[in-house]
Amino acid sequence: MSNNPLYFEDVEFGDDIGPIIREVSDESVIEFVSIRGPETEPSRFTSKEVAQSQGLPEAIVPGAMNIALMSQLLTGWSETVSLLKLDVVFRKTVPHNTPLKFSGIITDKDESGSNNLECDITMENEEGVKLVIGNAVISLPSQP
Amino acid sequence: MTTDDGIVYDRTLLGKENEIGTYEVSLKMITEFAKSTGETHPRYLGNDEQVEIIAPPTICNLFVGGSRPDIKLEFGDVSFFAGQSIESKSEIRPGDKLTATTKLDHVYSKTGRSGKMVFAVWQTQFKNQNNDIVALVNESFVTRNK
Repeated sequence: MSNNPLYFEDVEFGDDIGPIIREVSDESVIEFVSIRGPETEPSRFTSKEVAQSQGLPEAIVPGAMNIALMSQLLTGWSETVSLLKLDVVFRKTVPHNTPLKFSGIITDKDESGSNNLECDITMENEEGVKLVIGNAVISLPSQP
Repeated sequence: MTTDDGIVYDRTLLGKENEIGTYEVSLKMITEFAKSTGETHPRYLGNDEQVEIIAPPTICNLFVGGSRPDIKLEFGDVSFFAGQSIESKSEIRPGDKLTATTKLDHVYSKTGRSGKMVFAVWQTQFKNQNNDIVALVNESFVTRNK
């Protein structure tokens, strides 16, 4: 995350967010699905066998975890970012242990006083295939 | 154009509010959610005493699903999470008790290269112990044949 506070006046239409590259490990998926209690049975998120029985090539990252990762592209941009709304579409399943590129672009800036910004965001694999796409509304404070 | 004509499911669920549970958001839950998703923001990790800890904006996703009524869809072999919209209305803090209600908003089908797919869209609202709405979540699930 940037240590420099970002202000509404600093951002312009067309500004890039990221990119950042991340990998989701098997261990982090297990941690995620166990937050509300230990996972008692293997699932398509933690077991290749279960995933394959459901027609998937391998275990996948849970949708809720993908959404959290997409939101972090924005909240990690600066500590001053507030995420107001996030809308995502899952286009492909997301595998574990593979580099994922998260990026965004500012698509609108509300100058009427709300300090809201709109952006498009994507998660891509190494081949540039979009796995998750979406858009978001964030807000930033005005410069002091 | 989308339609639910010809899709067999329990239509009595359309628009019907269902309470799916009350959940306490613990400090442990917040920090584990943040840690497992690689969060670095001190306000989500609780690693800076000068910063008040709050939950990451998508933490409500831990509580959606699982308790939804079965729509008894007579189609398909396998279902996937197709998409979601989450709107944060208020900050969630450790110790907050969230009550979730959900309703089936609409069901529709589309046909693509891989054949017919049926989408079910649910709307879930989370309120805290003060009856303030903290999050609104719209989720879309797709069912298709393997």
